[in-house]
Amino acid sequence: MPRARQKANRFSRRVFIQRLAFFGGGVVLIGPACKRDSALETQSKSSPDAALTTSPHRTLSSVEYTIVAAACDRIIPRDEDPGAVDANVPEYIDRMLQTPEMRKIKNEFVPGISALNRRSTRMFSKGFAEITDAQRDDVLSIFKDSPAGSGEARFFELLIVFTMEGLLGDPSYGGNKDRVGWALVGFDTSEPPPQYDGMKHLHLHGAR
Amino acid sequence: MALAPVDVCIVGSGAGGAPMALQLGRAGFKVVVLEKGAHYRKEDFVHDEILNSRRNFFMPLPWDEPHLVRYSANDKYRRTNTAWTANCVGGGTVHMSGYFYRLKPIDFRMRSELGAVPGANVADWPIRYEELAPFYDLAEEELGVSGAVVPHPFAEPRKKPYPLPPLDEHPISKELDIACRKLRYHPLPTARGIISQAYRGRAACAYCALCGSYGCEVDAKSGTNSSVIPAAIATGNVEIRPRSMAQSVEVDSQGKAKSVVYLDANGVAQEQPAKVIVVSCTAVESARLLLNSTSSRFPKGLANNNGLVGKNLVFSSFGESRATFRIAKRRESWPWLSDRAPFVQRSLQDFYVMPDNRHGFRKGGTLGFMWTHPNPIFAAVRIAGSGKAAVFGKELKDRLREYRDSKILQFETYGEFLPTPGTQVTVDSSVKDKYGIPVAAITVERHPIDFKMTKFLVERGEEVLKAMEPDKLERLSTEGETTILQHGTCRFGNDPSTSVLDKNCRAHEVSNLYVVDGSFMPSSGGVPTTLTIAANSFRVADSLVRSMKRGN
Repeated sequence: MPRARQKANRFSRRVFIQRLAFFGGGVVLIGPACKRDSALETQSKSSPDAALTTSPHRTLSSVEYTIVAAACDRIIPRDEDPGAVDANVPEYIDRMLQTPEMRKIKNEFVPGISALNRRSTRMFSKGFAEITDAQRDDVLSIFKDSPAGSGEARFFELLIVFTMEGLLGDPSYGGNKDRVGWALVGFDTSEPPPQYDGMKHLHLHGAR
Repeated sequence: MALAPVDVCIVGSGAGGAPMALQLGRAGFKVVVLEKGAHYRKEDFVHDEILNSRRNFFMPLPWDEPHLVRYSANDKYRRTNTAWTANCVGGGTVHMSGYFYRLKPIDFRMRSELGAVPGANVADWPIRYEELAPFYDLAEEELGVSGAVVPHPFAEPRKKPYPLPPLDEHPISKELDIACRKLRYHPLPTARGIISQAYRGRAACAYCALCGSYGCEVDAKSGTNSSVIPAAIATGNVEIRPRSMAQSVEVDSQGKAKSVVYLDANGVAQEQPAKVIVVSCTAVESARLLLNSTSSRFPKGLANNNGLVGKNLVFSSFGESRATFRIAKRRESWPWLSDRAPFVQRSLQDFYVMPDNRHGFRKGGTLGFMWTHPNPIFAAVRIAGSGKAAVFGKELKDRLREYRDSKILQFETYGEFLPTPGTQVTVDSSVKDKYGIPVAAITVERHPIDFKMTKFLVERGEEVLKAMEPDKLERLSTEGETTILQHGTCRFGNDPSTSVLDKNCRAHEVSNLYVVDGSFMPSSGGVPTTLTIAANSFRVADSLVRSMKRGN
C-alpha cells in the first residue's frame, strides 16, 4: 500500500506545518489531550489550601513549578551560554498558562507535569525534581519518543514550544531575561518601546 | 430596528473592500464598511513575535472560530485556523509580506491557449489582461509599490514605471543573479508593496525585517490600512465600522439584496440597509457569508441557486527549499554576508508557462527568493524538530548557536493551483463559531499535476541555490498550498450556468450584489494575488460608480 502510506505521511506533514505556523493551531484538537491525573486532582481537591493557595506562582503549585523548572533546564541547559532557567522560562510558562487563550493548552500541559513526575517515581523511586540530570534526560526522552498523539508526546511538544517562547519571546512576558535568548540565536531587530507590556497589549485588543 | 440606509455597504476592508470604499466615497456615495476585527493604528504594531505571530492578535483561535479542513472528502474535518487572514481593518494586507506581482496575459486565457486539463475545471477569464492593466497602474499608485522595471523575456506589458524606486537590497542578490545567469535563467527584481521613499504622507521603510506576519509601525507597508482606508475616510463619505461581524445578507421580496445583518462590538445584532451590497471577506469567508444567507428566494444561500458558491476554490501551490550559508566560514570570501539588509528581492518566472507538456504540466509559476523570516521562536521550534526526531539539551543548544552563525536563503513557489471538483467551501451547520454562526468547511483535493509542477519549480530553485555553494541545502515542501492566497469560490464569467458573478463581479442572480475579494478569480495565477485583487476592485468600482451615477 505505498500510495496510502504516502498520503498519510503527507497529511502528517501538513499538520506539522500548521502547528509550527501557529502554536495552539489545529494540533490542539488533533492530538488527544493528556489523561487527567486523578492523583493530582484528588490532591488539589482534598487540600486546596496547602497545594495551591500557598503557591507563590500564578498557575502552578510549588511542586509543579519545580518540576517544570527542572524539565526546562534539561531542554536548554546552562553551559558557556545561559540556559532556560537563567532566562526565567519557568516564570514565563507559569504566567502564560494564566491567559485565556491558553486555557485549553493548560488543561493538556498541567496534567503532563504530574505524568512526568509519576514516570520518574516509577523508574527511580524519586520525583522528577530529585533525580540526576542524566535520569531526567531519560524520562524526557521516553516522553519525546512516545507515540504521536499520546499525552506524553504532546506534553513534550508543549514543553519545547513553551521553552522556546520563554527563551526567545519579548521579555515583557516574563522570560528571555536580560535578552539572553536573543543573544543565543543572534536576534537583534528593534524592540517594542521601553514601557511595553505584551500581555496587556494582547488583551487590550484580544477580547473580541 | 434597521439603521439609517446608505448607498453602499461593504463587508470587509482588505485588498478587495478598501478600494471600493475609496472610489465610491470619492464619487460622493455614502458608504459603510463592516469589518469583523479591530481598527489597529500603527502604534499598535510592535515587534513582539508572541503577540503578532503566535496568538490571536490577527487570527482567531481555532476553538473560537474554526475553519474545518480535510484533505479528502472521505476524511474527517479537523478544526484549524488555516485559511484565515488577519481579522482587522486592512485584512490580510496588514500582515502580508507585500510581494506585489501582476498576473500575465496568459493567466486570463489559460483554457483557450493551453487547453483543457482532465480532472480540472480550468476556465478563461471573461476579461483580458489589457482590461485590468490600467487598474494595476492605479492600484500601484494608490497603495504604493516600489520596484524596477527591467527588460525581461517573460515580463507582462506595462505602460508606467513603478511609483517608487526599488528598496535597497542585500549584497547576496548580486550573487543570486550570477547563479541564475550561469544557469541561463533570467532573474528579475521583485516589486514590493512597501514604500522606499516618503509617499503621500507615509514614511519610508525602516528596513526592520519584520514585514510578513507583522503590522508595519511606520505605515511603510502598503496595506490598505496605511493607504487606501485613510484616503477613503478622508473623503468624508466612508464610515469604517470595526468589530462588526456580518451574519447574513438579507433580500427583499424581489430577490434584491437589501441589508447586512451583523453583530456589533457589543454582540448586539444590527441591520444595515444599503442600495448596493459588496462582499469582500476572503474567498473562504465570503462563500460562507453567502451560503449562510438563506431565504425563500435563495434556499441554498444567496446567489447560489446554481449551486456554484463555494465551488472551484483555488489556493496557491507552495514549495520551499532553504540554503544555509555559515557566516564564520565566509568571513573572507563574502565579508558582507552578515549585513542586516533584509531584502533579497529576486524572482524567477522562467517556468511561468512551459512551451510543451514534456514535464507533465504547461502552467507553472514564480520562484520568489528571500531570507528566512527572522522570527526566533518560529525558527527555534523548527530547529528543535518534532516527534522522535526532536532534540533537546546540548544538541539543541548547539543547533541554535549554529543558527546564530547562519544566513538562510530560501525560495518559495507561487504555483498555479488547478481547480478540482472536490476542492470547495461549504458551511457546516453543526459547528458554530463563538458568535453562533455556522463555520466554513474546506475540502482540499489536489490535482496531481500541481505536485508535479511544484516539484519541478523546487528543483529549478535548488539548482540556483546549489550554484551558490551553500553549506546546507534543505527541501521543505513540494506538496503544500498557501491558504492565505484564496480564490475562485464565486467565479466570474459570462455564462450564468457556470459562474456566480458577471465580468463586473456582480452576482448573476442578484443585481445589486458584488463580490470583490479573490472569490472572482477562476484561476490562481502563478503569483501572490493581493495586487490583482486590489486592481480588480478598482476596476469594479469604476463600473459601479458609472452605473450608480446613471441611476441603475
